[in-house]
Parts: sequence; C-alpha cells; structure tokens
Amino acid sequence: MSVLDVLRIMVVDDHISSRMVTVEALQQMGVKHISVAKDGREAFQKLNAEPVHLAISDLYMPDIDGFQLLRAIRAHPKLAKTGFIILTGRKDGAVVQNAVKLGVNNVIAKPFTPDVLKKSIESVVGRLH
Amino acid sequence: MITGTTQKIPIVQGDFAVSDAEGVVISTVLGSCVAACIFDPVARVGGMNHFLLPGNPDRDGSDQSRRYGVFLMEKLLNGLFERGALRSRLQVKLFGGARVLDARSDAGAKNAEFATNFVTNEGLTLVSTSLGGLQGRRVEFAPVSGKARQKFIGMAVPEPEPKKIKRELESVGDVDFF
Repeated sequence: MSVLDVLRIMVVDDHISSRMVTVEALQQMGVKHISVAKDGREAFQKLNAEPVHLAISDLYMPDIDGFQLLRAIRAHPKLAKTGFIILTGRKDGAVVQNAVKLGVNNVIAKPFTPDVLKKSIESVVGRLH
Repeated sequence: MITGTTQKIPIVQGDFAVSDAEGVVISTVLGSCVAACIFDPVARVGGMNHFLLPGNPDRDGSDQSRRYGVFLMEKLLNGLFERGALRSRLQVKLFGGARVLDARSDAGAKNAEFATNFVTNEGLTLVSTSLGGLQGRRVEFAPVSGKARQKFIGMAVPEPEPKKIKRELESVGDVDFF
C-alpha cells in the first residue's frame, strides 16, 4: 500500500476553473482521495465532518480567505495538525511572512507547474511514490 | 473614442487593468489574442485582460496553456472582487481570437474556446462576443458603464509569445521549506 492509497487532500478555491486545474494535477499524480470546497467557510465545515491530511487553499477568496481558514484550522484541537499549502497569485514577502506566522507548510505561486505542486506536497507529507 | 473619456489605459498581452473611475477607458489591440471585458453594473467597476495561451496545445498538451489562461482570468476577477464586484452580477464581453493566416494552427480559435469555456464553467453571464474572423481588432472598454467598442483593423498578424509569460512559467520551479 502506498501513500497515495490513503492520502486525503482538500482543494479550496472560489474559482471553479482553478479548482479543476489543481484537482486534475493531483489526479495525474495519482492522489485518489480528493475533496473540494468553494471557500474557507465550506472548507472548515467539511473538514470538521471529514478531516484530511492536507489542505491546498487559494489565498484570496470572498468571506473567509486562506489566512482565516489556516488560523481556524490551527486553533482547532482536532484539525490543528492538518498540512496546509497556500496558492497565491501574489507570492510576495508580506504574504509569505504572514502565512509562516500562521503556521503554513508551504506557499506556491500561481500559475504553478504540476512538478512544483508535487514537490510542495512531498515537502509536507513525504514522498508520494 | 467612447464619449466622455478622460483617461485611457492601454494594456498589452499578459496584462490586465481594473477601474471604478468615471471617464476611464481601457484599450487594447488584438489579433489571435482574446480580451475579456468584465464588469459589475451595480458596483460600477470593470476590467479587461488580454491573453494568448502560450505553447502549442496540440503538441504540448493543453495543461500548461490552460493553467496560464486560468491564472490570468483569475487575476482579473480577483481585482474586480477587491473593488466590490459580486460574482453573481458580473457580465462578460469577449473579443478577439482571430485566425492568423500562415499560422500552422488556429491559436485564435483555441483562445476563444478557452475564454468561452471559462465563462461557462465559472457561471458568469456572457452578454456579447465578437470572436474569430480574419481581422485584428482595436477594443475600447469603459469599465464603469460596461460599454465596449471595437474597430476592425486589417488582417490579423501573428503575435509572438512575450518573454514575460515564459519567465513567469519558468520562475515557478522553486519550493520554499519553512
């Protein structure tokens, strides 16, 4: 049994097309258990019902954004150890600093390549293959 | 020129601009590229982008070019949301995607198809399109009113992929470890 058989990942993005891009990249890597959420609020509700090993979240979203979602997860006793990768179109120093302060595992700049996404995931959960 | 124009913002390939200021007109010139003009008539804010999907989707697989297109559309949408636009109110006008003669593949059609699919997938309202054909277009868009004008400007000429796109696609190879 490999990591890919058990690894559960949630993709959080308000743009359907961006979600599809990330989900397809994960499927091509062989990730079998993928869930999605359209914003931070939906993600937090779904995670409470069904936790995942890793959340890959867009930063800029209406209502509850990626930072707020990360803060809520780290403050939650059962979800606190969930891996968290932020995707952002603006990967500048302030974004990275704030994300690190909140306990992010990795920050990826959009548009990303599947290889970068894979490396980033492996930096959090270990080798996939 | 759209009546009442006080400031003109020209954009080039790979760019986008958003404004909620009266009198602003965003303009661009398109061959096989596509420009999406998106506005919220209630919040009175709008913006335009100008993109060409990089690479040859037939040869390289469409993944990379689609990722880049999605990224450019998302940047424009996020810019609109930051200025108070609501997704449910957004209206979209699409221009460009002309066929360039002498080109091996019809990149214009692929850009147009990508843009139309994006609008459908995101559930946005497409209010008008002027896509395809053999002629280039000059497009002017008033983001506050949502008014757009286009002028055909002769046969479309091939548009090279700007170095900026290549740089952006190549500069994402780094992974930071915290």
